[in-house]
Amino acid sequence: MSHFKSRRRGAVYAELPPHAAILLGNLARQLIELLSEGEPHQRIGDDPLEALLDFGAPRDRPEDPALQRLLPDAHRDDEEAAAEFRRFTEGTLRQSKIHDATVVVVCLDEVTDGEVDDVELELDAVQARCWMRCLTDLRLALAARLYIRAGEEDSWENLPDDDERLPLFEIYGWLGYLLESLIDAVRR
Amino acid sequence: MADVTSAPDAATLERPDTEQSVLLEVPWVTLVWDDPVNLMSYVSFVFIDYFHYSKSKAQRLMMQVHHEGKAVVSSGSREEMERDVQAMHSYGLWATLQKGDA
Repeated sequence: MSHFKSRRRGAVYAELPPHAAILLGNLARQLIELLSEGEPHQRIGDDPLEALLDFGAPRDRPEDPALQRLLPDAHRDDEEAAAEFRRFTEGTLRQSKIHDATVVVVCLDEVTDGEVDDVELELDAVQARCWMRCLTDLRLALAARLYIRAGEEDSWENLPDDDERLPLFEIYGWLGYLLESLIDAVRR
Repeated sequence: MADVTSAPDAATLERPDTEQSVLLEVPWVTLVWDDPVNLMSYVSFVFIDYFHYSKSKAQRLMMQVHHEGKAVVSSGSREEMERDVQAMHSYGLWATLQKGDA
């Protein structure tokens, strides 16, 4: 069973089957790619302060429904304010999500290298929070791909066995289970 | 019966209301909206982890989001609410800010 257990000082621990660890690493990498799309590439040697202050041109709301959900409008009935908020914060928000996903990738890379047995994973309190946010982002992105809407969360249970969306729904369910166990372990 | 034998632990105190810009005429609010994806346990966890709300307050706000579709989770200056909304987005919660009580 892949679920988290609590350790001392807010640390948590899990054993994951290698295929699950590899799957999760791949999903986190895809999330990084999704969030990096169209972003100005930061080169080594760029002044980090300059990069931080470079708000650049106004940004449009992303067209991809997954990105729309990950980077939502901050004002509901004020397009102008929403656009301005996006212009000044979207880059930072993307970076923080990329950072969370990178923590997941690095944690998994450290343990999955050529491993055939269950991999042992220990996360400190900070890493555990990065994982929670990343697992949430993955579920949000998957839900957008699967068109999961309010009241239809369980619609996949009625899908025929050969529906091509079924594996994705299973991954979505598994990520939810993993997140729930992580929250549980951190709270203990 | 309430237990008054122990001193309140500062770490468990809720963010006092006086901190919420009593001096501003119309405070801004941060709203969190219901979505079909986020786990109820996660939403409460975020309210505790980020706002340092008590478990019961976090639970109550989460249930309000769930049943009423939205809840005001913080109030203050526009800048403070912009910070809260951005934090909520980093946690993957669907949040907006607006003037007044929503």
